[in-house]
Amino acid sequence: MKISTRGRYGLRAMIDLALHAEEGRVPLAAIAARQDLSLNYLESIFSALKRAGFVLGMAGAQGGYSLARPAEQISLQSILEALEGDLSISEELDAGTPLRAFLKRHVWDAIDQEVEITLRATSLAEMVERIQLQASSADSSIL
Amino acid sequence: MKLSTKGRYALEGLFYMAIATPDRAVSIKEIATGTGISAAYLEQIFFKLKQSGIIRTVRGARGGFIFNQPLSEISVGQIIRAVEGSLVPVKCVESLSACTSRVRGTCISRQVWVELSDALARAADSITLDRLRTEWKTEQEGGMPR
Repeated sequence: MKISTRGRYGLRAMIDLALHAEEGRVPLAAIAARQDLSLNYLESIFSALKRAGFVLGMAGAQGGYSLARPAEQISLQSILEALEGDLSISEELDAGTPLRAFLKRHVWDAIDQEVEITLRATSLAEMVERIQLQASSADSSIL
Repeated sequence: MKLSTKGRYALEGLFYMAIATPDRAVSIKEIATGTGISAAYLEQIFFKLKQSGIIRTVRGARGGFIFNQPLSEISVGQIIRAVEGSLVPVKCVESLSACTSRVRGTCISRQVWVELSDALARAADSITLDRLRTEWKTEQEGGMPR
């Protein structure tokens, strides 16, 4: 049970983008540098995020990415789903045995639901708020 | 974020024991027949479950596996950890040194993975074999499936 690098790096980059949203369009190279991520990999992740309607990309000297919607309206669940596909922990099962069907309903679906509630409840805007709060209380310079 | 078949089959095997043979030793062969899972694969999985102390073996003609703990104390979380090692979907949650990033000290996403892990653990640890057995019985007796 793992979140792939695509999901991990993509979410981190999206939080970084939201943190710097006020600076206007953010070049991927800046995100790559701040987050110690490969620019090539970020480009492939962001083309998927653009297709999925999370970011707007602009080419050129003043180019870069911006959020396509307000950060309040982007949940962590939706970003991870766009990057990872279905977040369910159980495989798509053949009809299977009555035992298996029972466990899907009472165990795997219940766990999925708890995960979804948690990730859906948190928006990018909330992440930004929390990180800024931490930064100011720790007097650190991550921003 | 898929669970391995190991985790799924471990729960299926133990759930079969909980509803069919809670009080006697049962052979891998019988569990294989009852669940439709290959006996060879179950053998590997049950070895790990035994190591973790969830079940033990009984020798003899009527030997096999038997629960080593009350069903009310065996949770889905415990079963998955026993066979998969962990219930945590991103390594840094357990150990920050597992992350090789230069910026791990100021990571802006680790908190998300901590909360995701907490949600998984909260859900999986709250479901016990005892509770599942009760729900199964209710449904078998004609209760409405959820």
